[in-house]
This record gives sequence, structure tokens and C-alpha cells, in this order.
Amino acid sequence: MRCLVVEDEPEIRADLARALEAAGFAVDAVGDGEAAWFQGDVEDYDVAILDLGLPRLDGLSVLRRWRGSGRSFPVIVVSARGDWTEKVEGIEAGADDYLAKPFQMGELVARVRGLVRRGAGKLSPTVVAGRLRLDTVRMTATFDGAPVRISPLEFRLLDHLAHQSGRAVSAGELAEHLYGVDGSGDANAIEAIVARLRRKFGTELIRTRRGFGYLLEDG
Amino acid sequence: MIARSLRWRLLLAAAGAILLALALAWMFMTLLFERHLERRLEAELTRDALALVADLAFDAQGVLQLERQPGDARMEKPAGGYYWQVASVAGGLRSRSLWDSALPVPRDVPADAWRLQRRAGPFGQSVMVLERRLVIDSDRPPVVVQLAQDTASLSTARGEFGRELAVFLSVLWCVLTAAAWLQVSVGLRPLKRIPAGLEALERSAGARLPPQSLREVQPLVDSINALADARQKDLDTARRRASDLAHGLKTPLAALAAQSRRAREAGASEAADGMEQAISTIKLVVDGELARARLARLGQVRGASADVGEVVERLASVIEHTEKGGTLALGIDIPDGLRLPMEPEHLSEIMGALMENAARHARRQIRVTAVAAANGVGMLVEDDGPGLPPDRLQALQADSGESLDRSGYTGGGLGLLIARDLVASSRGTLRFGTSPLGGLRVAIEWPAGERLPVG
Repeated sequence: MRCLVVEDEPEIRADLARALEAAGFAVDAVGDGEAAWFQGDVEDYDVAILDLGLPRLDGLSVLRRWRGSGRSFPVIVVSARGDWTEKVEGIEAGADDYLAKPFQMGELVARVRGLVRRGAGKLSPTVVAGRLRLDTVRMTATFDGAPVRISPLEFRLLDHLAHQSGRAVSAGELAEHLYGVDGSGDANAIEAIVARLRRKFGTELIRTRRGFGYLLEDG
Repeated sequence: MIARSLRWRLLLAAAGAILLALALAWMFMTLLFERHLERRLEAELTRDALALVADLAFDAQGVLQLERQPGDARMEKPAGGYYWQVASVAGGLRSRSLWDSALPVPRDVPADAWRLQRRAGPFGQSVMVLERRLVIDSDRPPVVVQLAQDTASLSTARGEFGRELAVFLSVLWCVLTAAAWLQVSVGLRPLKRIPAGLEALERSAGARLPPQSLREVQPLVDSINALADARQKDLDTARRRASDLAHGLKTPLAALAAQSRRAREAGASEAADGMEQAISTIKLVVDGELARARLARLGQVRGASADVGEVVERLASVIEHTEKGGTLALGIDIPDGLRLPMEPEHLSEIMGALMENAARHARRQIRVTAVAAANGVGMLVEDDGPGLPPDRLQALQADSGESLDRSGYTGGGLGLLIARDLVASSRGTLRFGTSPLGGLRVAIEWPAGERLPVG
């Protein structure tokens, strides 16, 4: 697993590199935005940790350039500012997670592992159901070719429905799939997820068959 | 109240000045009218005197004779108000109206011109006397011809004129005072807008008074705005320094955390514990300071407007990208087009802190709902986590009067404290309760005055 660490403070950079190496990653560490952009553009990484306050080129611009040139590895944004507007900007620029400084190294390593795990171990890279296409490596979705940002939970629900070949799935079964055997009583949580997905994709994507449950629109 | 009101002062000064001017006008016009009457009287007396002189003659015995009596009826009636008298050393003649009285003959009656004088006359009347010493016959001694007319009619005419003029001028005073009131009101109207602008300035250091169309008021507005600029500059400098200091501390803190971990790895667990405790305390203070700087920066901005649905959706996209948030169902129910009069950044900080708190404690789902009602906008942030026992809820609610400044940032609920202070600064209220989902329910209400039209 290769990891890129972008941090201008040498002490923190060294500490991040040491902690991630101890967790089993091969780490490249750079200290400015220009170098980060170049490194991320030419090398293949499984994950990147990106500080936003960087010399020469700020972190958000680096991220936008990576995403603009099709680099899709997961990125955790790290910043000292910590206000919500910056968090929103970071996520909208293509970040996958966000941590405010100073952070616990254990938490950061756990999040890096979580992001890497999301993209690992999938046999089929994409699932297609009508106009919906699910990337099971990145856990992302496109609808009519346009990317739609969804949460891991929403991805798992869509993924489950996409594998049912037009069979309606009850809220109880979906809850059990998402939350395990103790989740069968969480039908209203399923309703909330479906409502949110309908807001993102439009109301036709997930249909309700009264008395049976939910199913994806016909291909 | 009157002494401290510019409007009343201007109005009273104007009313007083107008009254003085009209009183002087009344006196002057009455005097002119009296002079006019006197000139008319003099002309009448002169005309009658010349007619009288033309009819005077001495007979052969040297006795003064009047060939024809003047035709004025007042001269025939005793005390009739119009008199004539001709006096000479050889005797005299006088009108019937003088009856048994006589006009006093002064020694200094002029011979070269008629003289008009006011003096006491017969029958207790005040009269105007026209008199002249004349030679009728060069062989005879000169005679003094006098015509006198009671001035009562003059006084009556002058009095009537004065009264009518006073009534007219009083009406004119009322009209001019009303005009002055209008003038003062129109003149002071631009100043009326300034308090509203100053109120906005008080609420937000970033607000400014709008430009005035009046040249005379603009310098005042410019001065106030310059003062506000200076105040904002000072505030900005202070906040920037506080914010820079807080930001500056964050990276060294992260470095210190690294050292602490190395110390722990090297076996110095006790030292590492102490360092981590200190780091955690400093982090709380720094986060609180940054939140306060943000809070001050946001403030109240006139004309600001945030699309509630859009802000919450963008925050939801952040929440669902966190590890915990990614496992939660986010239920969002906000009417389309609902807006609040604040900066989107302001609303983001409120809702971000509350949604993050909900996500931290939720088991499966969080729910964000908004309702626009006639009496305001209400929002709910709920989770299905363990919630808080009633005594903790009460303590949290009772503490709601406390601000971030006074809280000392202890107790761990910094996000809730920040949200509460931000809600208070946007004139809303925040209440804690238990959600039907089972967890914490945070209810925010903004009164109707704070709501913008939906659409």
C-alpha cells in the first residue's frame, strides 16, 4: 500500500510518515503544494494525506488539480482552520475525509485504513443497473454518466438493490443487510436513506412496490 | 422634551421670528394707514378753508362778513364735529356747530402757509385744526382762519383697520408656522434615517451608513463611516492577531503530540500522559478562541441570506464522508427555497456543529428538519443515540444563558456551545430535549422578523 503525505511542518511530516510506515504503508512525504501536485500526478498511490495550508500551492488547489486530471485515490484533508466552510470546500474539491489539527495519530491511521479498505477486495469493479453505475472499488456512483456523491451506507443499499435483478426488497431485509441481524427494527432509517437517495438521483431510481419493498428502476 | 428637541427648537424659533415680523408689520401698516387718513383730512380741510376764505369780506363799517355759509351739515349742528372760526381784532365769525364755544387762537399762527395741528377742541373732543393768518383786505387787520374736525372718526377707522389687519396677520402667522413645521420636518428627514444605520453599525462592525443624497448631511455620514472604519480596523487587527495566534499554536501542538507519542514509545508513559493532558487543554482553548474569532467575524450582515436546504445538504456531504457519518442514514426534510437572513457561512457553523454532534452520538440515523411557520422558522436536529438523562438536559438548558466567553471551554460540548452562541448572535433560541428517535433533539427557533420570504 502506497501513501503520499503532504505536510509543510517537518516534525509532523516525519511523525506521519513514521506512524503510517509502522502501520504497513510505503510512504512518500513532500513539504509543498507544487511537489505534492507533481508527485500525485505521476505516481500511483492508494491514499494521500493532504495539509491545506501549504507553501507555493495551497492544498485545495492541489486536490482540485489531482481530481481534474483524473487522479482518484482517496484523500484525507488535514487543516488547522477547522471551520465548516473549509470542510465543505474540501469535500466538494474531492476529499474523502477531513481531520482538524491537532489530531490523534491513532485516529488518522484508523481513517486511512478505513478509506483504503473501502476500495480493496472487490472482485467486480463496476455494477450497472439501468442508468446507474456503481464503482465498487471507489464506492462511487454515476447516474446518466454524471458522478453523484453518496455515503458508504447509501452505496451499500444501492449495491444490494442492484444485485437483486428487479426483486423488491423489504425495508427489514435492507436493514438486516446494512446493520446485521440486530438492525431489523430500523425500517425508518432505511426510509431516510431512500428519501435522501431520491433527492440525489431523482424519484424514479428507487421505486416502492407497496407491500413488498424497494427496487431499482428497470434497466 | 421641547428644550432637547431640535425640531421643536427650530419650530419655536421660526414661530417667534414670524410673530415678531408680523407684529412689526402690523404696527407699521397701522401707522401708514393713520398717516393716509390724516392726509385725506388735511386735503378736505384745506379745500373747505379755501372756500371759506373766498367768501370772506369786510363791509363798509369794517365788520367781517361771510357771504355764503359752508354747505357741510356737520357745521350747522351744535357739537357736530366739524367747526370753522374766523377771528380778527374787529370781531369774528364762527360756525353754528361751535355754539357757545370757541376755538383757541394761538399767537403763532403762520401767515405764509396752512398749519395742521392736533389739539384739544370744544366739547371735550380731540380735533385736528387747520389754521392760517390771512389778510383779506389790505386796509384791514389780518384775520385768523381756523377749521377743525373731530378726530373720533379717524380713531374709529384706524381701530377697525388695526383689528382687521390683526386677524389677517394671525391667519398668516398660522400658515407660515405650518410652513415652517413642514420645512423643519422635510429638512430633518435625512437625519431620521441615521439612527437605523447606527443601529446596524452597533449590531455589526461591518455595516456602514448608506450614502445620502443631501450635501449637508453627507459629511456627517462620512465622519460616522470613517469612525466605523477605524473601529472595524482595530477589531480586525485584534481578531486577526487572536486568530493567528490560535492557528499558529495548532501546528506546534501537532508536533508536540508527535513528541508525546515518541516519549510513550520510548517508555516514558507518565511524561506522555502529562503532555497529552496539556495538549488537550490547550486544544480546547485554541478551538474556543478560533470559534470566537469566527463568531465575531460573521456577526450580522444586512441583506445576507442563506438557502437553508442548500447549506444543510452541503454539510451532509461532509458528514457522510466521515467514517462515522458514512454509516448513518441522514434524513433531511427542508422546504424548498426556505431562506434565513444570515450569511451561509454563519448558518454552516451552526448546523455543522449540531449535525457533527448528532453524528457523533447517533446509532443509525440523524434527522434534520425545518418548518416555516407564520411566527418564524423552526429547525430540529435529532439523533437516535443514547440521548441525555433529564438532569443533564436540564443542566444543558439552564446553562444556555452562558456564553462561550464565560464557559472556559470546559465540559467537552464545545460544538454545542459554539452553535448556541452563533444562534444567539442571529437572534434565535436553542432548546435541548429528547427526540422521538431516542437521542438528543436540538430545536432552534428564529422569530418571524428574522425570516425572509420563501421562494
